[in-house]
Amino acid sequence: MESAMNEIRAPWWHRWLMTPRELREQGVVGINMRNARYLLPNNPRRLYRLVDDKLQTKALAEERGLSVAKTYAVIRSPHDVAKLEATLKNHESFVIKPARGSGGRGVLVIDGREDGKYFKPSGSALSGAELRHHVSNILGGLYSLSGQRDVAIVEYRVKPAELLTAISYQGAPDIRIVLFHGYPVMAMLRAATKESDGRANLHQGALGIGIDLETGCTVRAVHHGKVRDIHPDLKVPLLGVKLPEWERILDIAVTCQEMTGLGYLGVDLMIDEELGPLMIEVNARPGLAIQMANGVGLLKRLEPVVTQHKLRPGLGRAGKIAFSRENFRA
Amino acid sequence: MKSELKFPMLVLALICLGGGLAAYKSLRLGVPFWMGEQSYNWQIEARVSFLANGERVKARLALPPAAASKDAGQESGSLGYHYNIERDGDESDAVWSAENREGGQALYFRVRLPESIESGAEPVPGKAEVDGATIIQGPAGEAARAIVARLKSISSDPDSLFVALFEQINDEQKPQDFVLLKKHYAKEFMGNPMIRMGIDLLEMAGVPARMAYGVNLNEDRGSQSPLPMVEYFDGTAWKVRNPVEPGVVPNSRNLFVWHRGEGPLLDVNGGENSRVTFTVVKDRIPLASLTDLRDSPLLVATILGLPLSERAVFRYIVLIPLGAFVVVVMRNLVGMATLGTFMPVLLALAFLQIPLGRGLVMFGVLIGVGVWLRFLLSRLNLLVVPRVAACVVIVTMLMMLMSVVSYRLGMTGGVQITLFPMIILAWTIERMSLIWEEEGRRSALVQVGGSLLVAVLAYLFMRMGQIQHWAFYFPELLLVLLAGILMIGRYTGYRISELFRFRTFAGG
Repeated sequence: MESAMNEIRAPWWHRWLMTPRELREQGVVGINMRNARYLLPNNPRRLYRLVDDKLQTKALAEERGLSVAKTYAVIRSPHDVAKLEATLKNHESFVIKPARGSGGRGVLVIDGREDGKYFKPSGSALSGAELRHHVSNILGGLYSLSGQRDVAIVEYRVKPAELLTAISYQGAPDIRIVLFHGYPVMAMLRAATKESDGRANLHQGALGIGIDLETGCTVRAVHHGKVRDIHPDLKVPLLGVKLPEWERILDIAVTCQEMTGLGYLGVDLMIDEELGPLMIEVNARPGLAIQMANGVGLLKRLEPVVTQHKLRPGLGRAGKIAFSRENFRA
Repeated sequence: MKSELKFPMLVLALICLGGGLAAYKSLRLGVPFWMGEQSYNWQIEARVSFLANGERVKARLALPPAAASKDAGQESGSLGYHYNIERDGDESDAVWSAENREGGQALYFRVRLPESIESGAEPVPGKAEVDGATIIQGPAGEAARAIVARLKSISSDPDSLFVALFEQINDEQKPQDFVLLKKHYAKEFMGNPMIRMGIDLLEMAGVPARMAYGVNLNEDRGSQSPLPMVEYFDGTAWKVRNPVEPGVVPNSRNLFVWHRGEGPLLDVNGGENSRVTFTVVKDRIPLASLTDLRDSPLLVATILGLPLSERAVFRYIVLIPLGAFVVVVMRNLVGMATLGTFMPVLLALAFLQIPLGRGLVMFGVLIGVGVWLRFLLSRLNLLVVPRVAACVVIVTMLMMLMSVVSYRLGMTGGVQITLFPMIILAWTIERMSLIWEEEGRRSALVQVGGSLLVAVLAYLFMRMGQIQHWAFYFPELLLVLLAGILMIGRYTGYRISELFRFRTFAGG
């Protein structure tokens, strides 16, 4: 009896840390390894500009016939900022984001308007002047990667599908798919919580929900690194939700890899109620939290891809998707 | 060569080159590798500069007896000048002469004195005749006579007279007659009017006195002007005192008297605007090997071949790569989040020049008040660059304010803070308040705390005596450091923070 207990109980140090050896056994990829082994050799510097500027990414995607959130306006100069409200007068809801922002910084979502006030999903109101100030901050480069001047994009506010709003607190969940050599290797859904204030960043308290690559079903959810079955605020079950149009989602992700040429990348999508999956952005430095959400180390997915890529370098997109769905089941 | 081999070969080559040069210097040239191996020497460099006016030039620099003696390692650097030491009884001068010189000239006299030198302010028995003091006319003269009479009445001997006089001169609140006399001297004399006034008053009181010059034995000063001192005759012997601290006997721990006795410190014929500056360095290299080092090839000699005044600059510069190394270790091996990549290095450099505790308090206050003002500024809806510039202005004014306040509170160190990296501070404030708004207070404090921790660690690392010794005397070891940084650059293992971050990976 006692020996059985000991086997089940985790070693005492797991309360604080895991040894490098244990992490290696789980196939966890650290930042140093991601950079040195996957980013630097496979993502040439010159390709970064395609994805660091969201305007370019969108243009590329439209060339390929991918559906993206419609751009209402691009604000490039203080002059444009001055007539911002006139430009937006026909749109009830919209999203303002910096073209070169990262990690969701500087993204402002407006859900509705009334009497010259603009309302965020959380219900707090902004005046027209505050809106313009936010845009001129974007132009000044406050949110861009190296403080360089930037432009602001105003685009369609995605109306997330019912299925997804049910598991997210005041914010549209997005889907992140990480690809390597064009093979989808891991996917997760990021859902907002009260704590994350409508944002989808895991370290700000959003939920990371792992997705089975074969079926598109949610299989595991973590909040601050701890496994959860139900949403902490909405108290609804998080697992077993099947994402609609999963094949199309994977197809969009692989197309993004083909159009940018990046070897290792993350593709962010949202599912609109009417328009279906929309490509939101491509990330050339996708984070590592996706491993936590899935409970699987990335190395366990990346290494088979390396072998397969060597074996069948010219495999088409259908073949790649089939390989991933076959091999990377939850 | 195979590409997998290139990297280890490069690292190996760097280590061999750096280590080899260091070993050569240490074993062959006798530069001590460990800090404690050798007692240090004071190396004092006098730099005489003047504008020659195209004719025959003769410069004469008075030397202290300790420097003129045979066993003090001395040398002079002066291209194209004839140089010799002239001795006249106890006094000796370094004399340089040359024909047809024009434009700016720089002459160097360098001397090495053992750690245990005497300050040179010891009483020298001798004679002095009182040769009728200077007569000052008018109301200033009246005032002088009144002061002398008052001082004589409260002091019993030349020593107490000297102390009483200079304490009054140094005192902020002076009696009326002092103020009058002070104005008179400030008008009459360009250099050191207060000391001249003191000397004249001493002479009027019947105590022979004259100027003397000292050098502060303090490495941090960089190049310094001669410290004016006063030599006076107490009836049997000549004594030298620092008029700023009249009651204290000069001590060789912090002061060395360069010139005393008759004659000027520096005398230049055929030139104008002449001046002498001193640079002091603590040196741990034996004299013989220093000459070898200067004559050795470029790679080995390094900064030790430079004049002292230029070498002093490198004391801090050679530490910057060490700070960068600490940042690399903390970020890539430990995984600490910092605001701005190398901001902690600049902060650590600032800490090196002010006491750590005060530096931390200052950083805390500046950042705290800065962030608060930044929130006020953000209500004004300013554009980004003007807002940061406004932050710079505010930080500057805050620093002035802090200097004044700390000075009023009697903390003189507050004045040294000019070296605080202000632009970096302004950006730190800007980025911190941004993170505060975007990601919350916790995240902002974690990142600022991380930067501060890294800065303190870098400071502690850069401050270690042995590390400074290596950085300064064995700069080729930087090649080894470079190899270390390159190796960290190829490290693909986990960061320590990741062991913590992924700790729930297995069970959850």
